[in-house]
Amino acid sequence: MTNYPHATLQEYGYKDYRILQKIYKVLSVVAVILIVLMLYISIIVLAIQSVNSSVSVTNFDSFTLKWYAEMFSVRSLATAIKNTVITSIVATLLATILGTLIAVGIYSYAKKTRQKIMLLNNIPLLNADIVTGVSLMLVFSLLLPIFPYIFGPTTLIMAHLFFTLPYVILSVLPKLKETDPNLMDAALDLGVKPYKALLKVIVPAIMAGIFSGMLLAFTMSVDDFVISYFTTGNGFDNLSIWVYGSIGRRSLTPSVYAFSTLLTLMTLAIMILYQFLMKRGKKHA
Amino acid sequence: MHLVDKKVIIELSHLTKQFDDEIVVNDLNLKIYENEFITLLGPSGCGKTTTLRMIGGFEKANTGDIIINGKIFNELPPYARPINTVFQRYALFPHLNVYENVAFGLKNRNDQYLKTFYQIDPTLEKKVYKDILDRKIDESVVEALKLVKLTGFEQRKINQISGGQAQRVALARAIVNRPQILLLDEPLAALDLKLRQNMQYELKEMQKKLGITFIFVTHDQEEAMTMSDRIVVMKDGLVQQMGTPKHIYNEPVNRYVANFIGESNIIPGVYLKKDLVQFMGVKFECTGYTFDNNEAVDVVIRPEDFDVVPLDQAKLVGQVTNSIFKGVHNELTLNADGIELFVNTYENYEVGDAIGLKVDPYEIHLMKVQKDE
Amino acid sequence: MNKEFKVLAKPYIAWLFILAILPIFVMLILSFMFSEGLSFGESYFTFDQFALLGEDSTLSAFGNSMMYATLTTVISLVLGYFVAYNVFKSKFKNKFIVLTIFILPMWSNLLLRTEALGNLMEHNNIMTDLLSQMGIGLSIGIKGSPLAVIIGLVFTYLPFMILPVYTALEKIDYSLEEAALDLGLTNMQKFWKVIFSLSLKGVATGSIMVFLPSMSGFAIPEILGAGNILLIGNVIEQSFRNMDYNFGALLSIVILIFIIGALYVVSKVDKEGETLL
Repeated sequence: MTNYPHATLQEYGYKDYRILQKIYKVLSVVAVILIVLMLYISIIVLAIQSVNSSVSVTNFDSFTLKWYAEMFSVRSLATAIKNTVITSIVATLLATILGTLIAVGIYSYAKKTRQKIMLLNNIPLLNADIVTGVSLMLVFSLLLPIFPYIFGPTTLIMAHLFFTLPYVILSVLPKLKETDPNLMDAALDLGVKPYKALLKVIVPAIMAGIFSGMLLAFTMSVDDFVISYFTTGNGFDNLSIWVYGSIGRRSLTPSVYAFSTLLTLMTLAIMILYQFLMKRGKKHA
Repeated sequence: MHLVDKKVIIELSHLTKQFDDEIVVNDLNLKIYENEFITLLGPSGCGKTTTLRMIGGFEKANTGDIIINGKIFNELPPYARPINTVFQRYALFPHLNVYENVAFGLKNRNDQYLKTFYQIDPTLEKKVYKDILDRKIDESVVEALKLVKLTGFEQRKINQISGGQAQRVALARAIVNRPQILLLDEPLAALDLKLRQNMQYELKEMQKKLGITFIFVTHDQEEAMTMSDRIVVMKDGLVQQMGTPKHIYNEPVNRYVANFIGESNIIPGVYLKKDLVQFMGVKFECTGYTFDNNEAVDVVIRPEDFDVVPLDQAKLVGQVTNSIFKGVHNELTLNADGIELFVNTYENYEVGDAIGLKVDPYEIHLMKVQKDE
Repeated sequence: MNKEFKVLAKPYIAWLFILAILPIFVMLILSFMFSEGLSFGESYFTFDQFALLGEDSTLSAFGNSMMYATLTTVISLVLGYFVAYNVFKSKFKNKFIVLTIFILPMWSNLLLRTEALGNLMEHNNIMTDLLSQMGIGLSIGIKGSPLAVIIGLVFTYLPFMILPVYTALEKIDYSLEEAALDLGLTNMQKFWKVIFSLSLKGVATGSIMVFLPSMSGFAIPEILGAGNILLIGNVIEQSFRNMDYNFGALLSIVILIFIIGALYVVSKVDKEGETLL
């Protein structure tokens, strides 16, 4: 239609890098995929070993699912798994509920105080696992005179609570900040008492934060090794401690790989389900 | 200003933009002249901001051409266009202070560009011209800040200035680059009334002083009327009417424009013959229109154009149903034979009063009746 | 929020003091004493531990820790920023899925993963076996070497860099990018002068989240280094295992100094802890 000449980048003092940019884009995608694969390579190996009929870590015999079936036949592993699951679920639930309430409490403070509290809150997060483990062990040891049997599930759960609470708080707090500041006032104005309003009005608004905090807490708890190592009692092993011991004794059974792979797949399934539900919810809304 | 002998600086030719299934800009054609203050006016979603962003290079048109200075610019990224933008929420860089924000564009240009920009002797050696450039940039920044009345604010951090000040920093940051064209995307929207009115005046003055083409986007028709040399009224991606504020106000071409700009009464009528129109059962003299005899027309009369006269001299009579005091005038709503009329008067009238109205022939505006309104 | 909810946070503050602050003092005291584990019966005040600090083995462990942690952090920064930036720029509708992809490996037990990596680094392993069954011959034998440990550290802690950087990038107002382009900056300039500068918060947090565990962990160096590489974490673990609480406490205090440094940086850069996740 129009017969005007096209303006070019060069006229205005710029170089035309468009071809280079396209090449760069393609290379970037390849690089990102490679890096992601890098992160997954160990789980892939675990998955392969979980279906390897040979116990050997060097040879692949044939495909089998027997390790999955036998997961609970090795006594020590079964106990360790049970302990891990119980500890982590209890710790996560406690952390989620308490963490949410604590986050609400922190949010009620003025900005300066809030930042100081958050600084304290960062300590479990940033502290090296080993220092945390040792610290907690020391404190619990000090309590030995009063509670001689404290080491065991109690200390383990308390330790897990210690390092998961900050994650929940960090997940919930930003969501609290995003809520309409007048939400609470509106509820009070309509005659609802504060704690009831908290449950019925605020909690639904920050649900996403609570959920992601819960997820993070569970992740951190299930995988923990060092802190659990120092804060558990004799005989109450969790999975990581069992694995550590087994690696040392060279008695790792492939069933543990089966368990690990299963856990990963289950998490993936939950994530996908969650996504699916979210999409459904949006469609209905 | 005689637009005919001005140079066209931007031409938009058959511009279309579609987002998903929505056509936001629909075959737009527009010529923008050098040194004019032109406003794209319309409600949210009419396509004015999208058009502006296409001119600036932030959106790519689906079809059509954007021609600047006689060259097609569709493919060029924003940094290569001789255009600068004042963004709606200012987009000031939070990690830089006021001075650094304003100097940002110039400081990041390459030497070649700057040498041409400041007309520096190209044979000078690096050390010498670097110094000169630094000084020149500093001078430009100081001058720009002076122009927006923010001298002394150089070291302030972005989170320490008010909305009005931020708006001016954004303006300084744009004009310091001496662009040929300045795009302004509803820049005054976030300011309170008094400040906004001041800035409208200042912007207009600045445009005249700098001699840059200003393309302004707003939904506020008063703002558009105050500042523009020309207004482009848009709706649903189409241009409804284009012209000077006075022209659009006095001769709206359809209901939409008539309603959008100022208040108006739109009454169905019949153009009986030359200079004679009938509406509400009364014949009125009118002037300046040519329609077919007995053609149906829409009659537009602005509330302030009605004259209140004693009942025995009146051509129309109505009863006051509502009266609002607006400071400068009263806004009356009248019921005249079942038709609601809006009349502005300086005197006070009570609800229930009977008022007689008359209107001068040259204040009766006629529009062609449009089927799809 | 209502002022009356403040009480909800108070117990937590006390909890943090008891479990986080109190141990620091206990460790400080332990560092200056000799004691049989925690029984203070036969204890006496001494500076012996400090002498141990100066020993070659301790110092080299420290040096190693610093070196490995720094290398890991730098590599993670380059790779992690690259990945985070590309995800950020992509027009993925669902960033949640993307984030899940990075968190998923963390759900597998760290020790198992490291063990698996360790196996891969042996000359004969399950992958080479599979590959040779398919007719490809390949083998890498780096287990026990510094490279192995670094690779292990990077593979493990890379997500800790990706997530904070990504969070910081997402927070940048898009109109700032447009403004930079409008003012004449090319895409490359825009990245360095605007995007990178504004994402430094994430870079700082991410670096801390990678540096600290790399410096103080002991599982990865132990498994992948096959006992050849000793980092400070290993020394601490050994001390406590051998009931030498005093030396262990002293070393822990040293690590704490780093952590306090990190806390300080975080408090300056990310006050509300937005990128710490």
